[in-house]
Amino acid sequence: MTILGVDIGGTFTDLVSIADGAIRIYKLLSTKADPSIAFLDGMEALAVSPDAVVAHGTTVATNAVLEHQGARTGLITTQGFRDALFIGRQTRPQLYRLSFPPRWTPVAREDAHQVPERVEPDGSVLIPLDEDAVARALDALKTNGVEAVAVSLLFSFANPAHEERIREMAAERGLFVSLSSRILPEYREFERTSTTVINAYVSPIMARYLANLEQGLHERGNRTLWIMQSSGGIISARTARQEAVRTVLSGPAAGVTGAFHVSRLAGYDHIITFDMGGTSTDVSLADGAIRRTTEGGIEGWPVRVPMIDIHTVGAGGGSIAWADAGGALRVGPQSAGSEPGPACYGRGGQHFTVTDANLLLGRVSAANFLGGRMRLDEDAAWAAAERLGQKLGLEPLPLAEGVIRVANARMEQAIRVISIERGFDPRAFTLVPFGGAGPMHALEMAAAMHIPRVLLPRYPGVLSALGLTLADLVKDYSRTVMWAMNDALAEELAQGFQPLLAQARADLQAEGFAEETIRLEQALDLRYKGQSFELTVPIDDYDPQAAVQGFYNAHRRRYGYAREGEPVELVNLRVTARGLRPQPPMPRHPPAPSPDPAPARVGQTRLRFQGQTHDAAIYTRAALQPGHRLTGPALIVQEDATTVVPPGWTGIVDAWLNLIFEREPALSG
Amino acid sequence: MTSPPDPILLEIFKSLLTAVAEEMGGALGRTGYSPNIKERRDYSCAVFDARADMVAQAAHIPVHLGAMPLSVQASLQRFGRLQPGDIVALNDPYFGGSHLPDITLVSPVYLDERLIGYVASRAHHADVGGMSPGSMPLAREIFQEGLIIPPVKLQRAGQVDEGVLDLIVRNSRTPDERRGDLAAQIAAQEVGARRLRALAERYGAELLATYMGHLQNYSERMVRDLIARMPSGDFTFHDVMDDDGFGNEDLGIQVTVRVEDDLLVVDFSDTALQTVGGVNAVVSVTLSAVSYVIRCLLADDMVPTNAGIFRPVRLIAPEGTLVNARFPAAVAAGNVETSQRITDAVLGAFAQALPDLVPAASQGTMNNITIGGADPRTGERFAYYETIAGGMGASAQDDGLSGVHVHMTNTLNTPAEAMAYAYPLRVTRYELRDDSGGAGLHRGGDGVYREVELLADATVTLLTERRRHAPYGLAGGEPGARGENWLIPGDGGEPQRLPGKTTIHARAGDRIGIATPGGGGWGKK
Repeated sequence: MTILGVDIGGTFTDLVSIADGAIRIYKLLSTKADPSIAFLDGMEALAVSPDAVVAHGTTVATNAVLEHQGARTGLITTQGFRDALFIGRQTRPQLYRLSFPPRWTPVAREDAHQVPERVEPDGSVLIPLDEDAVARALDALKTNGVEAVAVSLLFSFANPAHEERIREMAAERGLFVSLSSRILPEYREFERTSTTVINAYVSPIMARYLANLEQGLHERGNRTLWIMQSSGGIISARTARQEAVRTVLSGPAAGVTGAFHVSRLAGYDHIITFDMGGTSTDVSLADGAIRRTTEGGIEGWPVRVPMIDIHTVGAGGGSIAWADAGGALRVGPQSAGSEPGPACYGRGGQHFTVTDANLLLGRVSAANFLGGRMRLDEDAAWAAAERLGQKLGLEPLPLAEGVIRVANARMEQAIRVISIERGFDPRAFTLVPFGGAGPMHALEMAAAMHIPRVLLPRYPGVLSALGLTLADLVKDYSRTVMWAMNDALAEELAQGFQPLLAQARADLQAEGFAEETIRLEQALDLRYKGQSFELTVPIDDYDPQAAVQGFYNAHRRRYGYAREGEPVELVNLRVTARGLRPQPPMPRHPPAPSPDPAPARVGQTRLRFQGQTHDAAIYTRAALQPGHRLTGPALIVQEDATTVVPPGWTGIVDAWLNLIFEREPALSG
Repeated sequence: MTSPPDPILLEIFKSLLTAVAEEMGGALGRTGYSPNIKERRDYSCAVFDARADMVAQAAHIPVHLGAMPLSVQASLQRFGRLQPGDIVALNDPYFGGSHLPDITLVSPVYLDERLIGYVASRAHHADVGGMSPGSMPLAREIFQEGLIIPPVKLQRAGQVDEGVLDLIVRNSRTPDERRGDLAAQIAAQEVGARRLRALAERYGAELLATYMGHLQNYSERMVRDLIARMPSGDFTFHDVMDDDGFGNEDLGIQVTVRVEDDLLVVDFSDTALQTVGGVNAVVSVTLSAVSYVIRCLLADDMVPTNAGIFRPVRLIAPEGTLVNARFPAAVAAGNVETSQRITDAVLGAFAQALPDLVPAASQGTMNNITIGGADPRTGERFAYYETIAGGMGASAQDDGLSGVHVHMTNTLNTPAEAMAYAYPLRVTRYELRDDSGGAGLHRGGDGVYREVELLADATVTLLTERRRHAPYGLAGGEPGARGENWLIPGDGGEPQRLPGKTTIHARAGDRIGIATPGGGGWGKK
């Protein structure tokens, strides 16, 4: 059987196929107007068999939001709350700013309607639904050319009858409908409404794209298409058409999933992923499992469906270094992007960027950049460094080192947020860099954060596509209950979970998963009675006492203290359903005859670390074999990445061709 | 004379020290109990050097800007040197505080024997006693506003003084909530101390101290850069408070800004004398408003808010006036309402000097509403406090935003669904108030209308402004609409207009409707 992963990014479309223990990779330029063209062309190039299962990561929904090109969307709310979406949480975006450009809204205010109805927190009906008002609102939306309708009524998670009735009436009129009680049956009306509105806004766009793509796939004979969600799990294309909001933050998800699988196979399941791109850097953490959150958002709008807990900072290879009025060296948030790009791209970029700094320090091999397909202009980088250096009184090389230190400090802060601030000690983790620039910075970052080990995957540039081939199906279910936790609650818990579990099992069976491949995980969102932020505590049974103890432990780890004995409140029930996919065997490679990596040595260069210039060997990744052992300072080049190995680090190639770096004991600590 | 700072380390320490304050705030916001803390982020955290000068403050809420440094100074004045493991608590507006609900904790941070700095957190606690639930009453003197906490040691050598804790908690209508909030605040202090200590370990206490100093110089340079752009001359603006809730109306706040000997002088000499009701501001509140305006005019989010900002500024605020009240004046609303008017006045003065940078007046109030009583579902007392968004003033560049908090606050609303779980209250309307923004080339933002139905008899206190005097327009723009307060009786009686500042006893079924002001317009249409 063949499993194909296809990841479509802004510049490249990456394909990875695994069949009969062999990995094949293909990379081609994305076709922005119709991304399915590159998708299908790539499949032809790889001669993917017609029975292949295809898993796909797409930013179609993401881009629809970022470019404001979603479907025209209407909103129906409870009478009196039409503007709840527009007021949001009543905050301004920045504290110390006196003037703001208009805020983009996914729904025009004229397309927001309110209807008389009211449900109480316990699900009882205070005001019945005024169906005439619903009909008038839907007719007005239809007349206005609205394509999709979001329905978000107060307390609909406690009783969805009114929302379901509106769904029927909207469907009769041929409108796409998204209900808050189905997308996010949780309390807090603004966040629920926002998530539902974004779903309505992007789903029709996703549906059109997938219809197009599936037609092309069917013509080739490929029947099964899975889509990556923000959570790192896949869903069927059928579900993705209805719930496309689950993909809007999926861009980094496949890469993290790929990094986790590769690392776990190599024996490391406590990892920190470090994905450094051109304008920003994403970091995430797995402690035996990838950590998730529901606190995401896009373009200022909350999207509260599960996503991988990724922290992003605005520092990447293209980040521009500049001198501010107070005499500090700043890096970013402005980025040179790819046009004109860093000064060394030679396309007229005048600003000194992180990539330029790496070039001056010898950390980018000018000859090997992008496999030699792009020549770098070192003189332009020098000139940019001299211009900036004059303002700060720094020579080009110290300036370049400073730019790297400032950028690294910002990225370290991101690692700190997802580890130390969440109660995890980075010293117990392995750093897994990927993305174009990650391996260039990873070892220095690891040293600064006391992370003892760095695992460099064999294919850091196509980890997302690889992750797609490995991801399980994941569906998430939740419901707000707001119960006081006490010993008498066991019965209610069992009853409360029952419909969620039944729904989960039915959905997975409908997706073709046999009983023995279905895993159902249950969890409770708990907090001290009176708090507002919940901690998700997994449970194995319905023992309230054990769950409360789990909450105390989680609170102590996350916040440093727990008030044992204080009353605890249960906010949401959660079920995560996993459909386990057959894992394709990852190919192992025979060991090299000797640990000496001389066969992979392709040259010599000079690298600068902490003001000292060192002679360093250049190795080519393609020739490194299991058992090869190399020591820093060194540079490892491959088509999609350059790895900088500072003095004091030793790397060993494992059976899957990963490079595992550790610091020499004398230098660690 | 120290050597000039390395631009690289300057940037690195800037982000590291700001991160310490932000992480404290993150921990506090997530574990707090008061809606004011957990949902509304009405708190601030800051880091100080060993000389008790502020180095960095997290961008949480501007009204605390000027007040945090005075808290540390008050603690040291009272106790001299603080010992490792000590935590000082205070809320005395006349000794390091701002108004009584804001309780501040101050901890010294030591690395071994060496004092490396202080961390402080200030949070708005939902109830600290006093004559009405929520501790934002219409009072005549501070003694009616709640428990006054001068600097006291809440913790010694790592051990909480349970007696002090009990004293504070016993004076609140919602003691469990107080205990939870103080636990969260103590934990946040620990987080801050731990992070600051880690910085000293990594970089060395000496280098940390040096760069704490450099960062203050850095912020000072940024302000001096702004001062250099100011034209010469006196720029005066006069604005007014509606009233003090006791019949004293049209309380003037007048300010003149000018550059004098390279210093920015902000002179409130012609401001009205302090008054009976609680609209008096202590000087720390005035400092906060002035530093907020300067911070905005710098137009750079990454400038640390620290002691350096105030070095090139000279504040003239005569004692006994609205902007520097003398003990024992009531001050609850000075922090939340007068602070907004001081901001309006200072911005109005700067608008004449730097017209492209300064917008028309925003809503100029926080629309404070407190509702307290007994919850029939549990029999327990409750105290609900909230502030309501309004319109933002338009500028030379943009229309004003609608339905947002402005200037001195940026707290979140309480979701209608969260209200229903937490209080015997039902939100019945929450909408934008169309056409309340002032007309102009650029329109002022619209205010909002929020209506709450009481499901139990309750005491309702309103502290609101801009009900009589509208937010001003600029450059020919129209003023924003004034706010309105309404009582809609549950028995079907006629809606009654309520004054801007009032306490009423309302019955189950009654609704309270607050229409908040729009922002001023900018430019002739």
